[in-house]
Amino acid sequence: MFRSRSWFGGGLWKPKNPHSLEHLKYLYNVLSKNQTVSENNRGLLVETLRSIAEILIWGDQNDSSVFDFFLEKNMLSFFLRIMKQKCGSYVCVQLLQTLNILFENIRNETSLYYLLSNNHVNSIIVHKFDFSDEEVMAYYISFLKTLSLKLNAHTIHFFYNEVNEHTNDFPLYTEAIKFFNHSEGMVRIAVRTLTLNVYRVEDASMLTFIRDRTAAPYFSNLVWFIGNHIIELDICVRNDADHQSQNRLSDLVAEHLDHLHYLNDILCLNIEDLNKVLSEHLLHKLLVPLYVYSLTRRKDLLCQNQEERKYVSTVVALFLLSQVFLIVPHGPLVRTLAAVILKSNIDIIKNGASQVLKQYEDIISNTTVAFSPPKESLDKSLENLNESSKLENVAEKTVDKDKKNWYSMEKDKSIKSSTYITESNSVKTEFDKVDVANETIEEIKYLSVTDEEKEQRLALENPLTSEATGNTIEQDSLSNKPFLETILNSLYCTENDYAALFALCLLYALANNQGIDPETMDLVLAPLKVSIKNLYNETLINRIIHIITLSCQINAKVRLVTLELATKLLIQLVISENEVLLQDYHLAAVEAAKEQSTTLLRNFYKGEDIFLDMFEDEYSEIQKKPLKVEWLMMDSNILLPPTGTPMTGIEFSKRLPCGEVERARRAIRVFFFIRELSLTLNNEIETQLPLTNPSSCVQVNNVLDLNNSDLIACRVVWKDGQKIKRFLVIDCIQLILVEPDTRKLGWGVAKFVGFLQDIEVAGDKDDSRCLHLTIHKPLSCSTSNRIPLLSAKFIFEDHIRCMAAKQRLTKGRIKARQKKMNQIARLLDIPTATPHCSTPPNYALMGFRNDRMVGRGQRPKDQQRMFTVNKVPGFAAQMRRDSLIKSGTKRLEGSPSVKCQEASIRIRDSSPKMPRPRSEEIPLEDMRLRKSSLTTTPVCVAEHVEVGTLAASSPEEPEILIRKYSEETSFTERQNNETRVSRRKGKVETV
Amino acid sequence: MENRHRRSSLLKYFTDGKFAELSDPTVGVDFFARLIEVKDGTRIKLQLWDTAGQERFRSITKSYYRNSVGALLVYDVCNRTSFEHIPRWMMEARRHIEPHRPVFCLVGCKLDLVMNGCRREVSQEEARAFAEQYGVHHVETSARTGYNVEDAFRTVTQEVYNRIQNGEYKVEDGWDGIKTGFARPGGLDFNLVEAEPTKSSCC
Ligand SMILES: Nc1nc2c(ncn2[C@@H]2O[C@H](COP(=O)(O)OP(=O)(O)OP(=O)(O)O)[C@@H](O)[C@H]2O)c(=O)[nH]1
Ligand SMILES: [Mg+2]
Repeated sequence: MFRSRSWFGGGLWKPKNPHSLEHLKYLYNVLSKNQTVSENNRGLLVETLRSIAEILIWGDQNDSSVFDFFLEKNMLSFFLRIMKQKCGSYVCVQLLQTLNILFENIRNETSLYYLLSNNHVNSIIVHKFDFSDEEVMAYYISFLKTLSLKLNAHTIHFFYNEVNEHTNDFPLYTEAIKFFNHSEGMVRIAVRTLTLNVYRVEDASMLTFIRDRTAAPYFSNLVWFIGNHIIELDICVRNDADHQSQNRLSDLVAEHLDHLHYLNDILCLNIEDLNKVLSEHLLHKLLVPLYVYSLTRRKDLLCQNQEERKYVSTVVALFLLSQVFLIVPHGPLVRTLAAVILKSNIDIIKNGASQVLKQYEDIISNTTVAFSPPKESLDKSLENLNESSKLENVAEKTVDKDKKNWYSMEKDKSIKSSTYITESNSVKTEFDKVDVANETIEEIKYLSVTDEEKEQRLALENPLTSEATGNTIEQDSLSNKPFLETILNSLYCTENDYAALFALCLLYALANNQGIDPETMDLVLAPLKVSIKNLYNETLINRIIHIITLSCQINAKVRLVTLELATKLLIQLVISENEVLLQDYHLAAVEAAKEQSTTLLRNFYKGEDIFLDMFEDEYSEIQKKPLKVEWLMMDSNILLPPTGTPMTGIEFSKRLPCGEVERARRAIRVFFFIRELSLTLNNEIETQLPLTNPSSCVQVNNVLDLNNSDLIACRVVWKDGQKIKRFLVIDCIQLILVEPDTRKLGWGVAKFVGFLQDIEVAGDKDDSRCLHLTIHKPLSCSTSNRIPLLSAKFIFEDHIRCMAAKQRLTKGRIKARQKKMNQIARLLDIPTATPHCSTPPNYALMGFRNDRMVGRGQRPKDQQRMFTVNKVPGFAAQMRRDSLIKSGTKRLEGSPSVKCQEASIRIRDSSPKMPRPRSEEIPLEDMRLRKSSLTTTPVCVAEHVEVGTLAASSPEEPEILIRKYSEETSFTERQNNETRVSRRKGKVETV
Repeated sequence: MENRHRRSSLLKYFTDGKFAELSDPTVGVDFFARLIEVKDGTRIKLQLWDTAGQERFRSITKSYYRNSVGALLVYDVCNRTSFEHIPRWMMEARRHIEPHRPVFCLVGCKLDLVMNGCRREVSQEEARAFAEQYGVHHVETSARTGYNVEDAFRTVTQEVYNRIQNGEYKVEDGWDGIKTGFARPGGLDFNLVEAEPTKSSCC
């Protein structure tokens, strides 16, 4: 057995080196001895075929004699001979794989051309492999795809035989498109890639062939396939009352997006002839009859046979159309489609469906407007293409009637193989006055389904509310345009905002589509009633503002995403060239909404820590993730009726709030959206948000002038045991750890910064000089990583300093938060005792609050401590190190040129009077003394912040300093005089 | 179509010794190989590329010149136009083989037709004069009868071998016109890649 195997090579021993000419010779011998595939040599052949590919690719890059041998022995013919036998999928798969590897990797173009020559490849392509075998199918299609990647103006001639104009002679393309609707997604994707690769080759005769012979059959089948897909999608939406089929739905939505991107890829190749055929099929067979017609249920309007007529629910139609306009910018297509939607009136429509398109299309076409099966399957068409051309009897060919498939109904029609034209069968129906939309709704109500399902189905249809029929004049002109009417009526959210969101999306997509001419869009933007003073469509704006107004109500059914989109769209529609066109009464409505959103939020305003945290988190959330309609339209979840359950996994902004906390979050966001809208419409700039102005914060590595700051020396011990000496500086909102600047006395470099509002401080029960400090990350920072920004032990020189630090940190936290709460109060027009300064925390509440703390940080256990503030702060001036580096000159010690920018926090004498337990006060004289010895400059502590400009100038080095004042100053005003003995007004330092 | 005259038949006869009345047009390129012995007994393996005459493959054909050392310029003795296209093919081959100087052989074919009374459109004298002007060999052949076919290839091969002997051609990296043969004891073989990109068309 062993022996006989090794003698297969006809006396040649298998060479040791698999990458050698010798080895190929050996393999050649194996092949020639095993020309007939049998049960026994199957394994050997597969191994041989695999090795051949390997050697050839090695040879292609290393030794040309290898490929010469392959040529000389015409080894490709062995492949073909094996293929033509019934060799079984095992061998077939290897054969296809070998060929695939070969074509994918051969770099030498003369070798490649040889492989492509003399129709060998074409005979492989047309070979009837067993495509029911999944693996064979996969390798076959990827082989074709590989070949398509090799297409270019030179190689196209190997695949497309222009000599025989009358034969179906582009097998690579025609064989591949037969699998356009294969059940395996990967196969379909490969087919799409392949077709694009083919179209991309700019070869006129090939394109002519494709347009004349295959475009109509291919596109009509493709369009039918896509249509059936969305009907499936619609069924999925209709039957999903409880959000059970999210996965299925998401696949279907993704598939539809893939289709649109594919169609768009073709259109973007700008092959005019091809685009014409494709656009025509899309409009006549899919977009208008299925998508657009689904926008109305008026049976009187659409002439296609009602029983046959397929449609999808209004929400699905709106959703799909939005996707179309978001993805496809191809002018001729989207212009026509937009015109049909926006301009069609009853008269046009009832004149017959095909009239609808005739009205707006550049190309006059006789194709019926109907979502109906193609005349024949693609396979059949391509077959006919072959036959009819062989018979040279193109025009009169009729198709077999008794085929048992869904094409049969259409089969009696004669087929003109090249142009695919059919007579338009416009069935006209009389216009009758019954309001079918309502009828449909009535029908649903009496269906024998569960209430939930009923509700679901009702929600899918566009509810015509009493409000909707309120304005008779508007209605008159609107109801004359049934498609536009549906879109605008969908904007009412009485039950919910299900359809409204999609209507907004569609309007947004229309308004932002590059391919649509402004004229068509003016129909939506311009008023319905002709009027000179209005530059926009009042009805539309009314309804958008109505959504905004609705969303400010308690328990409003408007989701955040709908509100955000409404504001976004409103801004786009009424602002033109920086000019706000909005009329006064509309502006007033927006202002009223703003008031209402403020009132709504006021209900949630509480002194609790969590409110501030939420407020800031929501703000940063909105800033971080502004609405992208393109992304929104990829989310299949929004196709399901609005829900409030977080369990569905649906993002917060895309569902209704659940529970008190979420209602508060929602109110916060509503407030932000409408506030921003109002500012924009009033041409104002936001000055109050975010609460922390990042530019006034100290950053790590900033160089600070600490001459007038209070510094507390400490050692910071990190969790990993790392110990570093630092100075602790407590600013009004930040905690800063600095390291003295070695180059300049009295200055320091910020090594760490954290917000006071996020700190948690605890003493150490064993060591009275120690504090445990944790600084939490703001919730908005990152949702996944909850590791604190800092968690370390601080060791101070003695107990007194330790206590002082603790007090100041604790106090700092409260003050920082208090300050922000006051800012929010101001935003919400909540009267504060002293409106423009830091108000005292509501101490009465504090103890109570302490029990149910939810926010970051922790309240000190000992309430007393926080009132013991008696420190006079100085300033920390901050200098940008990068500006230093930029200036290029080395900063000389003690000669900074300083330009001050006062941080705009003004401290008044209006600090609240409050009980201050004297007992806890800690004298800090010695600390200050220490500090003065440290800095060597006289201690200059600002007592009043309005003084204290540092201005040492050396003209050649202008630098910018940001002066920071600690707000603690306000508390120091009333400190005992004796603690401030040495304090003087900040004076100008010149060194 | 009409520019199919002779190439594949000529090569087929040379490598197989057979002539087919009906031969399919070459789609792209084809490959042949044959061993031939030159005067001093050295055996040389010829690698022959047969190229398509159809215009649509012109751009592909060009890639085959580069690694060639010789070319047969084939015309139909009964087709004047095919002869008139010869200079064009010659220039094209020259340009692509540069800096190497290819060995050409002007080959008139379908001589059997003349014998059978078909009107000759290119006289032997004219073709010879042309050949002399460009310093190339000339031979008239018939793939049907095999007349002079061997001779045409032999002439080219001998000339190439002479140039190898006098050092004009040598084995070079990056040029596959001349390659050393597979190592055989005492072998002195050379592989010549000889493209046959000759075509002329009536249309
Ligand atoms: N009578 C005669 N017919 C020939 C001769 N050589 C070729 N033919 C015929 O001419 C036709 C074309 O010959 P090919 O050799 O295929 O021509 P080609 O130049 O290779 O053509 P393409 O590959 O299409 O460019 C065939 O039908 C041959 O039978 C010849 O010497 N005498
Ligand atoms: Mg040929």
